[in-house]
Amino acid sequence: MRSVPPRLRARQDCSIFFSLLVIFSLPLPFPVAAQQAAADSSAAAASTQNDAGNPAFRIERISLDVGAELLTVFGDLDGREPNNRASEVPLVSILRDTLGDADPENDRLRHVWMLTYTRPTLKQRLAAGVPFLYTRVGNKKKAVRGVPPAVIDLAQPDKDVWQRFLWMALQNIFVNPYGVTAKSSSRTFQRNTEDYRKVHVIRALAVLSLYEAEADVESVFSPAEMLEIQSRLILTQMTFGGIVDDAFLQKLHQNQATAQLDERGHNWELLRQRAEAEGLLFEPLQLPDGSATHALVWTTRHDVASNRQRRKWDNRFLNISKPWGDKRLDRWDGYTETRFFDAENRAVVSDTPGARAVEMIPLALYGLDNPKIPALLVDFRDGGNPKRREVSRRVLEDVARNILSLSRFGDIHYFLGRTIFDFITSRRGMDVNQPTRLRTYSQLKLLLTLSASLDPEFREEISRRLEHVSLNPLENDLAAEARLARAQHAALMDYARRPDGLARQLDRDRRAELVPLAHGRTARVLFRFGHVLSFGHYTHREKALPETGRTQIDVARRLAHHRRFLREVSKSSPIIEVVWDMSEVRRSLQFVAEHGARADGATASAAARIFARTKDEATQRLCLDTLYHINNETAKNALWRIHQDQTVPDPIRTLSAEYLRKAVREEQRISPTDTKAIISAIGQ
Amino acid sequence: MKILSTLSRQIIVLVLVLFVSAVAHAATIRRVVVIKVDGLPHDQVERFVRERDSRTGKSRLPWIEHVFYERGTRVANFYVRGMSLSGPSWSMLDTGQHLQIKGNVEFDRLTLHSYDYLNFIPFYLGNAFQNRVDMPGVGALDEVGLPLLIDAYPYDERHTSFQLYQRGARWTTLQRGLQNRFTSRSPREIFDEWTTGFDARSIITEQLERELLEKLNNPRLRYLDLYSTDFDHAAHHNRDRETHIRALQEVDATIGRVWTTIQNTPQAAETALVLVSDHGTNTDERVYSQGYNLVRLLGSAGGGGHHVITKRRLLNDYALKGIYPLIPLITTTTSESFYLKGQSTDYPTALIDFDGNERSSIHLRATDLNVLHILLQQLKRKDLAPDLRRAATKNFFATIERCRASWQIRLAEMNEELGALRRLIEKQRAVVAAQPKKWTKEDRDAGRDQDSRRLFAHLDSWISDEREYAEHLRTLAHLLALTPDDFDPARLRIEDVIPKRSMGDANSIHDLQNYLVGLAPGGLVTSVDGSLDTNQSFARVNYFQLLGDVSVRNNVQPGVSNRPIDFVAARISPESVRVYEDLRGVEAIIWLSGGRGAQALILARQDERGKLQLRYLPVSELSQSADGQIEVARAAWRAGLPLKIFEDPRLEIPNGESRPAWLDEWHTDLDWLRATHRTTYSNAIIGLHEQLARHQSEALDFNQAGLSNDERLLRRFRWRQRMLVEADLLIVANNHWNFDVRGFNPGGNHGSFFRVSTHSTLMFAGGGETGIPRGLEIEEPYDSLSFVPTILALTGQLGEGGNSVPALWRQGFRTFPGRIIKEVMSQQTEPAAPVAAKTENGLVMK
Repeated sequence: MRSVPPRLRARQDCSIFFSLLVIFSLPLPFPVAAQQAAADSSAAAASTQNDAGNPAFRIERISLDVGAELLTVFGDLDGREPNNRASEVPLVSILRDTLGDADPENDRLRHVWMLTYTRPTLKQRLAAGVPFLYTRVGNKKKAVRGVPPAVIDLAQPDKDVWQRFLWMALQNIFVNPYGVTAKSSSRTFQRNTEDYRKVHVIRALAVLSLYEAEADVESVFSPAEMLEIQSRLILTQMTFGGIVDDAFLQKLHQNQATAQLDERGHNWELLRQRAEAEGLLFEPLQLPDGSATHALVWTTRHDVASNRQRRKWDNRFLNISKPWGDKRLDRWDGYTETRFFDAENRAVVSDTPGARAVEMIPLALYGLDNPKIPALLVDFRDGGNPKRREVSRRVLEDVARNILSLSRFGDIHYFLGRTIFDFITSRRGMDVNQPTRLRTYSQLKLLLTLSASLDPEFREEISRRLEHVSLNPLENDLAAEARLARAQHAALMDYARRPDGLARQLDRDRRAELVPLAHGRTARVLFRFGHVLSFGHYTHREKALPETGRTQIDVARRLAHHRRFLREVSKSSPIIEVVWDMSEVRRSLQFVAEHGARADGATASAAARIFARTKDEATQRLCLDTLYHINNETAKNALWRIHQDQTVPDPIRTLSAEYLRKAVREEQRISPTDTKAIISAIGQ
Repeated sequence: MKILSTLSRQIIVLVLVLFVSAVAHAATIRRVVVIKVDGLPHDQVERFVRERDSRTGKSRLPWIEHVFYERGTRVANFYVRGMSLSGPSWSMLDTGQHLQIKGNVEFDRLTLHSYDYLNFIPFYLGNAFQNRVDMPGVGALDEVGLPLLIDAYPYDERHTSFQLYQRGARWTTLQRGLQNRFTSRSPREIFDEWTTGFDARSIITEQLERELLEKLNNPRLRYLDLYSTDFDHAAHHNRDRETHIRALQEVDATIGRVWTTIQNTPQAAETALVLVSDHGTNTDERVYSQGYNLVRLLGSAGGGGHHVITKRRLLNDYALKGIYPLIPLITTTTSESFYLKGQSTDYPTALIDFDGNERSSIHLRATDLNVLHILLQQLKRKDLAPDLRRAATKNFFATIERCRASWQIRLAEMNEELGALRRLIEKQRAVVAAQPKKWTKEDRDAGRDQDSRRLFAHLDSWISDEREYAEHLRTLAHLLALTPDDFDPARLRIEDVIPKRSMGDANSIHDLQNYLVGLAPGGLVTSVDGSLDTNQSFARVNYFQLLGDVSVRNNVQPGVSNRPIDFVAARISPESVRVYEDLRGVEAIIWLSGGRGAQALILARQDERGKLQLRYLPVSELSQSADGQIEVARAAWRAGLPLKIFEDPRLEIPNGESRPAWLDEWHTDLDWLRATHRTTYSNAIIGLHEQLARHQSEALDFNQAGLSNDERLLRRFRWRQRMLVEADLLIVANNHWNFDVRGFNPGGNHGSFFRVSTHSTLMFAGGGETGIPRGLEIEEPYDSLSFVPTILALTGQLGEGGNSVPALWRQGFRTFPGRIIKEVMSQQTEPAAPVAAKTENGLVMK
């Protein structure tokens, strides 16, 4: 019998506890899902506003009495019956906290629900922890209970980062010492959980892009809101994404969009050229906004017969076996389609003069939104082909990390070998050891949901085959997802209507929002620790929200809005008035001047930069006023520098001197050096 | 009295001097800042300037609007003259002279020496090892005696950016760029940037701009430029509006920063800011640009089974070798070669330059060399029947005899030229040896160290030329030395008489219509008279027909044809078609073969005043016989001819004239430009002539009087070198097609003669004393040749008749063929004072 030292046993017990905690609480990443606290009094009176005439998407806007809106994007299930409610699926819901007014400046976006994203069943969870089980294990069948999990809380994007690090630490401290099984189980579980969320984040992004692209419908989201939602969703996929400054959102969004369209275009062209070179037919598949995210490659019955003896075949980038002489195609009884082509090989309708009929056999379906090469998603002759390619990288990683305990940072030989292997497979565009197909897999599911261009029978077949590609036991199939989305939406609506539901949740969120206004940095760091260490179960909030609290939140949000705007303005152009509407700039400066005592150094720097970059005297004066009212050292230093600048006109310098004098008298925050200099130069 | 007279004369001189100074002060541009943006399409700029941003209420491109639309002059119809391709186009914009560089990559037919005008990396490596000073394009232009606009300014009075035609390298830019990347941002910003993706590409562009802004404060500098390829890069990759706007907004922001900095300098009033681009871009939000692989076509049996050489690696991003930055000649070996299997490295038979993408230039090995090569291979066989051997031998020598005269001349002339080159090399060695080994700071500031290294770079290049040509001539001499009497093919090594890695002479139209690609499936066959039946013995390809018939199976985009090739253009020697009445006096003929029988000739001649005149002639069934005679039938005007001028609704001909009547006439290039510039193919007639005709600069005129023998030989040698890079065929892509096989450019392309690709950007703005009109849009069309003379005229460096001021004339600047854009100077009350000719005290030297 092996004796275990008490300290080690305690550690093991502790580890088991945390491991279980990890496994069963990870799919509940956001506290909104767990917070089913006692009822609050406010009822959620729902008013629905529909946008008629939108063929692919419809927005449902539910106004809540507590001063918020629940916005849900509905998509048409089969794309064939516009505005047929029976075929609609609720896809994404977003909570917008409006503080009960119509002014967008104090709105704050909160939770985003991808309604197909659900809490897994016990069976799915257990399977998700089984190493090397790269397959689905069935669907969630039971009705949804409770509030659906959100994919992100836009008001607290940084929470993700800290939690990720906490889990990493827990894994290494408490789970890894228990050996290969515990380690690989927990890691597999984490990986599946992350991938499951990622899939739905990607789909949420795609849905929002499609909704935004609906040219004839005015979006219910402002451009800034859409930017925030999309960028923050993108950032969930980056390790430190949650703590990226708002100022980077625009650039990130643009870079991502450009890179994605670049990849898509390259893959479109690569696949077209390869299909052309091998005598195949290429057909791009389009989402409702017209963007081709996937493509089919076909052959024809005639080509199969006439090329039987043809020896030449280049598999590169197509990654399917040679169709010529393939017996499966010789006796193909799977899906076929007859299409008509004119003399210039353009697809036409059957009664076009001179059209020739061609019986087409699908060979493969590819995703185009994939790094470097088109991602094979369906091989109509070999269902296991795409899956083997998808699994290759995962197996390599799982074996190396979980079985052999190799790490790039801990083993130089592994590091070198892996780097070379990764470089070669990536550079050559070999479809093994490639980045996961998650994105394009997720998009295809959406395309199958929304596209009307595919024959229903064919769509069904693709859908069936697609499910084989999924490695994740937490995934549900398309039909189940549609059902779950409806059920989750109903649950969310119920939650929104319940007095102890969304209203109470919102109240708690707002009270948490008051914390930075009531506490200093040290206290806030301690609260954050408490929150992270309790796995999100403890969140510090201020007590009941009085009317002053609501006003404080209102001002704080508006201040944040104007801060963002002024920062953007200040960095955008060497002469502000060339690029911006100065009345808007002045309005923002005015607001900060009136309410900006708590504004930060970045706002002060922005005001100082705007001062330097405008020739509009009224704006310059407002900048000085703003700098005077912002009670921090940066603002006063900027004011002092303006005063010292001999190129600044005398009346402005005089005004800055007055403000400095007042600031000194009022004992505002000024650095000791600046205080001395100001007093000696200007006097008190 | 005499004293009074002297005094009054002095007073008059003083008044005159003061008057001249005052006039100069009234309309003078002392400093020019040029922002060069690669591939900036005028129409996109116009569209986005006009569009309002709903957030700001201002233009989407507020600075371009502010600077050039409100405070400057823009040329609404500015076109590339020639192909819409960076290498050639910038060469014309930078020199103001007719085209000498005709591709981003050029190949010497005889030696396969490649001129890669775009690749920066070999230049920087060469510069680091001190054997290269300038970008290859500058070296090529130096050889043909064409100075650049920047040469109009002394080294210490100019600040230039990294660009295609770059003199010297500035290593500090790289170093400071990296430093500034980290020091110009807060740690938080660096962290966020790292998290969201570090943009390494912008390190250099940011630094180049930073340096320009710094240098604007240096009053000594009179010429500054900044070159950006970011928009071109973005438009090649992405077709979407947002990507384009974003790239344009970066250009716009740069213009804002440069303009603001200029305004804060004491020279603001006398500074002109110019925005210029080399071509437009054929991009459409709804269409992916589709690639067609000409390398694969030529490698296929139907395409001739060629081993193909390119200067760009095919599918570069998917090749491990693609990371090698020096890019040697890339050989694509075909398994379908008729007679050169396994010999691709020694005997490639096609050279393709597909850079520019909407066009491609192709050299094919001289068909006569193919005949000789195949016959030698056959004659070396031991099992060849005696009658076939006799017939093949006879044909082998008949082929040599047919070519002997021209080969003999080439051999003799080139040996003479290489002799002169060797003598030049020896002289240059002495000059290089005499150069100082160390340089003071003053020397470096004046660019004297670079001048010295430039001497060595020229020497190095000449030595390499001499070695490569001498090797080729040795083999040619062996071939010509063969005689039937002592001919023993078994003992003969093919490589001793058929030069390796050489294309030989250019092919004629007849050669290209009957191009010999290998043995026929039945092998050699004799005729009844015992001679070799060349029709039966050899497999041939008609390249005009082959290329005209190319179509694809996948035709999935509305508005994109299934025919990737629009037309093929080739130069025809006027002598071969003199019999045709219409062609008398014609100096250059370009044949356009559009497939499906659509053909045309572009004819060029000079009128009595020496002005270029062009004519477009619809023809059909053009063919050339073996003796060089061209048969061609005149065709009627109809829709569907190459360039589709006849049916284009935007063709603007003078009132009262019918289209066929006007189109049947000779017109000057200016008349053609005015009539056609708004059509789908804009100035294609002029552009094709510019591209395919030969333009002799003074430094290439070997018949000029007063030259020493060596000077004459060296000029002839340079002229020959320019002819040796001329391709057999120029293939122009159909709309939304391209030939880029290095990678993919689905966003958009250029290179063709479509207006969307040739319509470029040129705008001027300046301080109060520059005389550049405000808010003026010039409708009159201009082309690339106008850029340099206009800049020189604005800065007072151009005298009467478009001639350079003496100081520039001495540097090699000559009369500019392009028109000055006079509208830009419409508010200059007097001609601008010649800044370049001023002395330090500001007085004008007459």
